[in-house]
Amino acid sequence: MNFRKILSVCGWLAALSVSAGANAAADEPKPTPENTIHIQLAAPVPPQKFAKPPKFFISEVIDRSGNPQPMLVLKDRGGVFLDRQPTQITKETLEESLKAADLVAADAASADLVLQIYVFHFGLAHGSGLDFFGKVEFSVMVKNLKTEESQRIQAAGTSIANGAVRKKNLQKNVQANIEGALEDAVRNLLRGTQLREAVAALLKNSAGPPAAPPGGEMAFVYANGDEGKRLKSKVGER
Amino acid sequence: MRSLTIVLLAGLVFAPGIAAKDPEHIYKTVEAKHFTRVEGVELSPAFTDYLYAELRSELGKTKMFAQVIGEGEAVEDADAADSVVIEGVITEYKKGNRAADAIIGFGAGARSLKIDVNLTRRNDHQSMGTINVHTKVSPRWNESVMAKFAAQQIAHEVKKGLKDKAKS
Repeated sequence: MNFRKILSVCGWLAALSVSAGANAAADEPKPTPENTIHIQLAAPVPPQKFAKPPKFFISEVIDRSGNPQPMLVLKDRGGVFLDRQPTQITKETLEESLKAADLVAADAASADLVLQIYVFHFGLAHGSGLDFFGKVEFSVMVKNLKTEESQRIQAAGTSIANGAVRKKNLQKNVQANIEGALEDAVRNLLRGTQLREAVAALLKNSAGPPAAPPGGEMAFVYANGDEGKRLKSKVGER
Repeated sequence: MRSLTIVLLAGLVFAPGIAAKDPEHIYKTVEAKHFTRVEGVELSPAFTDYLYAELRSELGKTKMFAQVIGEGEAVEDADAADSVVIEGVITEYKKGNRAADAIIGFGAGARSLKIDVNLTRRNDHQSMGTINVHTKVSPRWNESVMAKFAAQQIAHEVKKGLKDKAKS
């Protein structure tokens, strides 16, 4: 009799755990057109003035955030997703800003400096819970292909936006917050003293006769497919 | 005659508000740097980032500065004389005591944070003042809430200090 009672309790517990598991699986947000946001700056960020404006080329953008779901920016309330990968958004934003100032080269070979970007954080970070804390953080390897010299610089952008109760406002605030943080990070890079110093140092020694065709990894790395795996490993070692 | 009366009345209603409004954009730019901490201050690395973000947000709300720039950004030479740099050191952090807060209350067992803030002019690095901020919050609240309160307090003190300096 007792054994029967225990069996029924076990049955109930098993049923509960199965339903809890099913609920958890159902709670996992899925991207839909309604919960997907498009991140784009309203206007390109004007870079700082260089004495001799160099031409940049963004060879690739690598995600180093370690985030298994980089496009999911908010898990609560049905989730908020990005419409593109953070790496793609970063690349497009930087290229637009450089293009607006006529600082973009057509390819790596014709560029004065090649930029390789490592995105460490893109999206929301842990805040006080009263508002949204947007954070975009990346580091940039600036390389002169002629001299094979390179310098690493960092850029970060933050933004604080109000929380929201309604889903529509929440999505709007998250979007504005991430756009603010991205704009801040791009401005921090393009108007930063680190970039100015890196450009001055890397172009100082390249005024001589053109060097041999660039060797190493950067010259043959283009932003498609499984680019830059060798470079990734090198930076990982560092 | 009627329109003149309306204009006069409107002037009486809006004039005090306009006069009481804060002077906007006294300085061209302000750069808040990430605050450092003395040895023994046990706060997470994310705290400094959040405090930096909150401080920039709060400095923007003071309307004393035309632009709140990020750390390490270049400023036009013409604007450097009217630009301020804010640096700070977290000198003390006490975790607080939840039991004391629950049993005694009235600020007992509160979480506390002490920060020394330095304001300098960008072009000549001349000191524009020092602010000592002491923030106390309930130990039930997390570090980020404490950062938010600290940032509000710093921005308020910066505004007060710079306004006094501008008047004198």
